[in-house]
Amino acid sequence: MEKPVTGTKKVFMTGNETVAWAALAADVDIMFGYPITPQNEIMHYWTRLAPKYGRQFLQTEDEISAGFTVCGAIIAGKKAFTATAGPGNTLMQEPFSMAEAMRLPTVAIIQQRGGPSSGTVIYSQQEVTLTTYGGNGEGHRIVYSTASNQELYDYTIKAFNSAWKYRFPTFVLGDGYQAKMREPLEIYDPATKNIQMIKPAPMVGLPGQIGVDREPQHLCNIYSLEEELYEVVLRVQAEYEKICPELVEYECRDCEDAEILIVSHGVVSSSAEDAVIALRAQGIKAGSFRPITLRPFPDQKLREILASGVKKMLVVESAYGQLVRLLRQEMYGMTVPMETLMMPGVGIIDADIMSKVKSLI
Amino acid sequence: MAIMPRESRLDLRGIFLSGECSLTLQTAAVQRHSEASSGSGPKKEVQLHLPEAVRVVEAFIGEYASGKSELAINRALELRQIKESVTLVDLDIVEPFYTLRPLRELLQQKGLTVVAWGKEDAFGLGETGSLVNPAARWVMRRTGDIIMDVGYGVHGAAALNLVEGAMESPELKVWTVINVGRPMTSTVADIVDYVRSLKRVDGLINNTHLGDETTIEFIQQGLKIITESAQILGVPLVYTAVDEKLEKHVLASALGRSEVKFIHRYMPKARW
Repeated sequence: MEKPVTGTKKVFMTGNETVAWAALAADVDIMFGYPITPQNEIMHYWTRLAPKYGRQFLQTEDEISAGFTVCGAIIAGKKAFTATAGPGNTLMQEPFSMAEAMRLPTVAIIQQRGGPSSGTVIYSQQEVTLTTYGGNGEGHRIVYSTASNQELYDYTIKAFNSAWKYRFPTFVLGDGYQAKMREPLEIYDPATKNIQMIKPAPMVGLPGQIGVDREPQHLCNIYSLEEELYEVVLRVQAEYEKICPELVEYECRDCEDAEILIVSHGVVSSSAEDAVIALRAQGIKAGSFRPITLRPFPDQKLREILASGVKKMLVVESAYGQLVRLLRQEMYGMTVPMETLMMPGVGIIDADIMSKVKSLI
Repeated sequence: MAIMPRESRLDLRGIFLSGECSLTLQTAAVQRHSEASSGSGPKKEVQLHLPEAVRVVEAFIGEYASGKSELAINRALELRQIKESVTLVDLDIVEPFYTLRPLRELLQQKGLTVVAWGKEDAFGLGETGSLVNPAARWVMRRTGDIIMDVGYGVHGAAALNLVEGAMESPELKVWTVINVGRPMTSTVADIVDYVRSLKRVDGLINNTHLGDETTIEFIQQGLKIITESAQILGVPLVYTAVDEKLEKHVLASALGRSEVKFIHRYMPKARW
């Protein structure tokens, strides 16, 4: 079968389209999904491309089913994913929670949209809480927040490897703008970048006789005894904490001598970086810190930066306090004052950030 | 008829037809040429034979994110330089509030009549798909030139069925915009298959680019692929659209000897 992407190739695409190509390049077998704006073109392009490369697609009756069919395909040994947004993300929290419990390497692309609402299709960054801690569990998840189409390509590929390596549900957190943004980027066959894609393997129907050749495979999602659940959660928590240092990713710009540190994630961070460049040109010692992984959060690095002379931290987001809450939790005990610029539903440009910074100094 | 510098011929392509009425005009391109050739001296007037009564009706169709809106905007503004009344119509029926809406005011200031939904029309409509603007449906009843930006959601020219009288219009030209930088239309075979799947195509426009990373070589590569596709399809390659920022480089290259239109990029301001 022909490879969807060979070598490297410069292209001009929208974010959604980029995700479909990245999933093909990552050797994904099947996508399950239910249409929702602003992720629709991920499905549109996947369905157009998949037959050409021997991949599959199933449109389920709703998002609950889309999430559970991903779980089922994974148990059967297929590399599977879904994509959703807003209320679809809400509905998928049940299957995502089951995936957390059963350590299933689900991958979901979330193109955040506005809320609270069932029908608001516009851009926002209001699915941070839902994507990081939305389930009825402890948030044992990996969440990458991307900022460009190139990153959507890179991190979609990475998400499949992280999911299959660590066996935690993995998310690529985009948004309505990134979904529709048109940008040049380089697409590539992961092999050309020395990225080995982890091959999926079935979790049921394994060879050998149980009790003779192998232990039974327990894919448990139901615990009848409190003590049993206690042990499982503590064990998973310990495993999660152990891999955190390998997983955390962040980006810093001019953090070394920053007196005012702008903290933002996703598409907003590109405005934060522009603001830092402009503020520095005006002699203001600004810096930008961007967590790429929102789960696990790169708290250690941020603590180091804050301890190196930062006088104020400015948290900027297209939501009313979702990143702020994450920081309060992850950075408990920090003494640097936290200021906020919270603009739910609207895009934030460098000028917004610059005027806020100037009002603080 | 006076001899025209090449830039103005190119800029007026599509309206420079074989009619007999004459019209005096001075386009921006002619002005550039005059300044370049005669320093600060008096600007030349160029006599053109233009069929005044000929109405321009063009529809820009193509793959999602191929550049339809950008080229439609540029074409409408180009016509507005010499025509009194030019209407730009947004026919995106899936995301009607995101394509031309953010640019509507700017384009109106530039003298265009823009038929697109406004912020005030969007209240409460949320995810309402397949919404046809009544003003767009009856737009052919307006006088003057009509430029239609056929957004995605309907395959090819099918959206024109929603505009009363468009398909029957003898003036209608349907241009398919192609960017070879888009993986779905990057080869001759893909382009031929794609264009054949459209209902009606009168010509192809080479809009090959990589945003801010566009190179002359990349545009030339696109030109070669689209020219070959056009030959197979039996339709003309109408022109190559190039970001005005690259004008100097284009004119200095072999590309400068082909039909080129320089465009200003408005869509980055529209976000979606």
